[in-house]
Amino acid sequence: MLKLLRAESYKLRKKLRSWLGPLLIMLLVLIAFPLSIDISQFDLNKFYFSIIVVSLLMTSFVATEGMFEEDFEDGSLEQEFLVEKDFYKIVLSKIMIYVCMIGIPIGFIGSAFSFANGVDAEEFPKVFLLLTLSNLLLFNLFAFGNALSINKGAMLGILSTLPLTLPVIILLGRAVRTIQFGEGFFEILILMIGISLLVTAIMPLIISAALKTHLD
Amino acid sequence: MITAFIHKFSSPKSYVRVTAKLYPFFIVFGVSLLTLGWVWGLLFAPQDAVQGNSYRIIFLHVPSSIFAQIIYFFMSVCALMHLVWRVKLAAYLIKAAAPIGAMITFIALFSGSIWGIPTWGTWWQWDARITSTLILFIMYLGVLTLHGSFSNLEKADRLMSILVVVGVVNIPIIKKSVDWWSTLHQPASISVSGNTSIDPSMLYPLFTSVIGMGLTLISLGILTSHLYIFLREKNKKWVLKYV
Repeated sequence: MLKLLRAESYKLRKKLRSWLGPLLIMLLVLIAFPLSIDISQFDLNKFYFSIIVVSLLMTSFVATEGMFEEDFEDGSLEQEFLVEKDFYKIVLSKIMIYVCMIGIPIGFIGSAFSFANGVDAEEFPKVFLLLTLSNLLLFNLFAFGNALSINKGAMLGILSTLPLTLPVIILLGRAVRTIQFGEGFFEILILMIGISLLVTAIMPLIISAALKTHLD
Repeated sequence: MITAFIHKFSSPKSYVRVTAKLYPFFIVFGVSLLTLGWVWGLLFAPQDAVQGNSYRIIFLHVPSSIFAQIIYFFMSVCALMHLVWRVKLAAYLIKAAAPIGAMITFIALFSGSIWGIPTWGTWWQWDARITSTLILFIMYLGVLTLHGSFSNLEKADRLMSILVVVGVVNIPIIKKSVDWWSTLHQPASISVSGNTSIDPSMLYPLFTSVIGMGLTLISLGILTSHLYIFLREKNKKWVLKYV
């Protein structure tokens, strides 16, 4: 497993566009949005969190675009399967590396910009935790979409899995409101941790079934 | 004996032979009951005390909402059968049911929008029930798009089945959305446990419409499944008897 993690992190580090692109997109949206509305920006704190959530969704999609495509096209997916004989570990290690190298920085950027929403500095860890957990869920779901459509274009994957990501967004929206209103955060955090663990455990199994179908 | 029955019935040839005989009963009873339910509900059921005559869209909206979920659940059962036991008929049934499910979900959303104008003063609200039903509609489209993207139909069947099984998590969310969230959409008025808040003069035509729509959709499903089976099994000799 460690060998797989090292290999996946090496591959992602080499593809600068793949991990830096989503971070820059997130930065761009969060900086550009306030500039595009009324300069007084008195009401910005009412809906800025929604912008963070939507840009999180977009960047998660962009980050996982072509997650398996390159490996499928050049045959390395097949080779790895023959060596490891277990797609579950391959998929899990890929998702973990993507979350560590892209998801966590996205969560950090989103949390930093939440100050624009009038959030206190002491709430920063809570926001960061929520955004990182949401990233974990979204990366799993978009990776599933990628595995289904592998070389048929990213839009097919997103059409297939967008309905599954919308409940995550609704949950994140509710979680963010608990920070804004100052109650119920712990309960919703436990819920999100539970769902994240469940999805992280089960989704690689489903993704590996989809990948095996493509290789058969 | 049960396994033998399943093996026998799960062959496309047996399925077509049996359902071709059942089809006339489903279509006749379905259309008759649906017509009866709608005429009864639209013309003879009393006005609602609060909503007046605008409530009568219930005889279209409620059956279509019920079957939007039932059809997806049916697809998920077929998907499991295809993935676990490699029953190819199950994949054919998913492909046949998906367009019907999409259509009936659209009818549910559209009729709900029409009902929303006199009741809520708006065509649309980002309410838990309505949003989750919209998600279901997108799921149907996603299933159809995914299957249509692959030239290798066996691969397409498996991938479609995987997506359908994963998407079934949306069904309990739709069903329980009115209980879990404080929603604009009213909670369930009909309960299996018996606590129904609808007057019998409205309930009986509603039940008739639900049963009629169910039988009509089954007959539609039989037609579309036959069509799709003939397309997929076109190289088999037994198909020539029907085509």
